[in-house]
Amino acid sequence: MSNEQTLKVGVISCSGEEIAEGTISRLATRRVLDLLRPGQTVTICLPLFLAGGQEERDFARRHPTIAVDGCSKLCAKRGTEMHSGPVNVSLVVSEILNGECAECSRSAKSQSEVDKEAVWRVSERIAAEIDALLAQNSQAECGEESEAACACTRPVPGGNLEIGGRTVTVAGLPLIFEHLAESGLAADDSSVGKLLETVRIYHPIEPDEEQEYKSSLIEAYKLYRGKP
Amino acid sequence: MNLKESSGPTLVIPCSGIGKVHGLIGREATYEIVERLAPDITDTLCLALLVTGDEDAVAKVRSHSCVTIDGCPKACSQKNVEMAGGQVTKAVRVVDAFKNHRGAQPGTATKLSEEGWTIVHEIADETARTICGDATGGDTQHVQ
Repeated sequence: MSNEQTLKVGVISCSGEEIAEGTISRLATRRVLDLLRPGQTVTICLPLFLAGGQEERDFARRHPTIAVDGCSKLCAKRGTEMHSGPVNVSLVVSEILNGECAECSRSAKSQSEVDKEAVWRVSERIAAEIDALLAQNSQAECGEESEAACACTRPVPGGNLEIGGRTVTVAGLPLIFEHLAESGLAADDSSVGKLLETVRIYHPIEPDEEQEYKSSLIEAYKLYRGKP
Repeated sequence: MNLKESSGPTLVIPCSGIGKVHGLIGREATYEIVERLAPDITDTLCLALLVTGDEDAVAKVRSHSCVTIDGCPKACSQKNVEMAGGQVTKAVRVVDAFKNHRGAQPGTATKLSEEGWTIVHEIADETARTICGDATGGDTQHVQ
């Protein structure tokens, strides 16, 4: 156990297979882990509480935990509390979306803009709850990261930019590029404003650094799209 | 449970593992089976319900044939169904499908590449064939 380690919030998704809200809970949780709050979050597969060992069952006792459930059956919340430990925050996708997911689909194959919007809304809410939990626990000591938090839940690599003669890492930059490419953002100089605006949501950019970020981002985006 | 006494659709239950692409492949293979390949004789069930010991879910797995699709060797779906008293007639492991796709880049835990979808189709086709064989009186197949 090391007191110097960063406190990480556990996010546990129900991933309910029967309903679209289960798919949204799963995707929103991953989006938080990979893009919105990398380095501040860990997760675990809910069924592993029963299929795994004591390490897995200690998860909620080691981390302040948010349960993300698709429906009012609250399987993630109840399952975590039954087999692991108390849940600090319980979120329900159907409540967050206020019933606006009737057109959402279970399968990734038939996902539309409505599904993506739903995932964005739920993930933003999870991120806000993480910030609140971390603020509450800012003085708390955090133990060693549980071995139950498998390597695959660690944040995705960031992307490096050259800014002012130094290398700056932007967390989740490849995912940001992926999202923008999916949205149809062209890999040319006309996209520089949108790039800056989007990256700024996740990464602090000082006003006097904007021009350098613009140049570096558009070059990196062109490279990502295979149009250097 | 004697499978000859089971009634209703075969339950296809993936682990939906959130950490790796394998969980997404199992989940999508399940939807391919229950929505497209064998919608009349299959259904799925939220695995999380079994984790909570939900009475209806437990009763369902005890009275239906169950096919589990697990992403990793921890076999969460198979173990949870068996702990609930269900009988797994076919236990699919996504990692096994990768033996025919060495070096494949199937995508991520949230998005599949073309190779990933190819693996989904292969798992779904083979599993659906087994289920359809059982439904028409073929021998029950145990795959470990």
